[in-house]
Amino acid sequence: MKEIIRYWNKPSRSAYVFLAPSIILLTLFSVIPLLIAFALSLFDVPITMDSATFIGIENFVEAFSDSRFLNSLKVTAIFTLLEVPLQVFGALVIAAFITKNNMKNKFLRAVYFLPVICSATAIGIMWKMILHSNIGFVTAVLQTMGLGKINFLNTPGLTIFVVSFISIWRSFGISAIIYVTAIQQVSGSLYEAAEMDGAGRIRQFFHITVPSIRPTFWYILMTRFAGALQIFDIIYITTNGGPNYTTESTVSYIYAKAFSSRSSMGYASAMSVVLFVIIMAATVIMYRKMNEEG
Amino acid sequence: MNGKSAKKVKNTIIGIPVNLVLIVLALLVLIPIIWMTFSAFKPEKEIISWPPTFIPAVLTFQNFADVQDRINIVRYILNSVIYAGGTTLLAVIINSMAGYAYAFYEFKGKTGLFLMTLATMMVPFQVIMVPLFLVVFKMGMYDTYWGLIIPRVAVAGSIFMMRAAFSGIPKELAEAARIDGLSEYGIFWRIMMPQVKPAVITLIILSINGSWNDLLWPMIVTSSTEMRTLANGLALFVGQNTIEYGAAFAGALISLLPMFALYMVGQKYFVEGMAGAGLKG
Repeated sequence: MKEIIRYWNKPSRSAYVFLAPSIILLTLFSVIPLLIAFALSLFDVPITMDSATFIGIENFVEAFSDSRFLNSLKVTAIFTLLEVPLQVFGALVIAAFITKNNMKNKFLRAVYFLPVICSATAIGIMWKMILHSNIGFVTAVLQTMGLGKINFLNTPGLTIFVVSFISIWRSFGISAIIYVTAIQQVSGSLYEAAEMDGAGRIRQFFHITVPSIRPTFWYILMTRFAGALQIFDIIYITTNGGPNYTTESTVSYIYAKAFSSRSSMGYASAMSVVLFVIIMAATVIMYRKMNEEG
Repeated sequence: MNGKSAKKVKNTIIGIPVNLVLIVLALLVLIPIIWMTFSAFKPEKEIISWPPTFIPAVLTFQNFADVQDRINIVRYILNSVIYAGGTTLLAVIINSMAGYAYAFYEFKGKTGLFLMTLATMMVPFQVIMVPLFLVVFKMGMYDTYWGLIIPRVAVAGSIFMMRAAFSGIPKELAEAARIDGLSEYGIFWRIMMPQVKPAVITLIILSINGSWNDLLWPMIVTSSTEMRTLANGLALFVGQNTIEYGAAFAGALISLLPMFALYMVGQKYFVEGMAGAGLKG
């Protein structure tokens, strides 16, 4: 026993002991599943999961003629295009106004951050009730203003906007706080120099703040983009894809296909692979753009 | 009027609408949360009455009894505590160990292993959820606490955070401890870990928050009612069409309170942990 301990106590060897658990876990639960996802996408897997038949690219052919899958891509795209720009630019503007470390701003930051720590479940319940067409608080406010009832979570064409709004509500705080931290690190002398030159606050924002926090901007853009393409939990709680699939995202559909009573793991994996390729392509394009800017 | 005071006037003119917008935003965040909190203490009859009240006319704790009655929320809370606690405990140990190795040792294959760890950050969870379920299922961990916890322990992002924290410690500290006769593991646990306490606290807080709020993974990997976590069980409860509103509000409030408490004590760590990643790019 002592021998074993002494053997593994050499620094170059003990490094492997320190690393072994994380490497094993990452391999088992991240690397291998990714490889399986690619492999599985070429197979037909029955619900019993005890066999698999190789069917080549048939799952992919099926996916691209499956109107529900194509619709889910469209829903995901709409959601992403609504959420990401509003989030990325809106949070930046908000951040610019709450950068100074005074009591008022600290309070506002703490408030804006609150939804970030809430579960999607609680947020879903909250908004589902507040927007409820019979008992909802918003409905009551609209009625006193003389407006009619709006069924926010059950109107095709409208509900996707409502879901996007809830998603932005949930996470704009984190983007704003990240921006605030970045802006605070911009050297104060830059602003002083601009002040001397007579540049107003708006000009300072565009000519000093924005260029200085470029890396942070790209970071938020890329993480938000990848996150939006994987939207699931808010949709699951508030609409579960309805009405009439108008809010069913790609991940919602993959989930339904893989874990419902008529499960089809191979097909779900093929759709996952398509989603993976889209996420990777988007990330790589943005990464290139970022580097071009230098 | 001199230039300075003219500017001051201009700033207040801009300041008023800006502050108004900021306050409206704050209300937009707070009102739903406050409304839900109040509603958790309203009797069901008041909740479904029209027009809805904001402040409860009658205070009751009945909703909390009801939610226990319908979905055994105590059991769900226990499961969430086990999931969050187990994941966090193991995550702190394992990710710190890895971060320490990358920061302090030179060894064969370091670059390769490091790149592999980095690559796993690029793998979106939603993409691998189907095969991940199969792996857990084939390992016999489906619908168990192990299946819930083990796959979520090792996180590349946490490893990088710990590596960055350990990188700030001078190598001489380890040398001195070695001369004093401490083993490599003793150095790590007794000398190094206390040095990175802020990073460890950040990791603990983010990990607890992440697993407490996690919805998708518990839904995939558990099936029995006894194994449901709070986020998962509540979601299924409100997914039914005949839901009791009061009970749903009470359940949601119960799920929020521990996180609000955590936020009160550790706001700084939340912000540093979540914002930190965006600043090192």
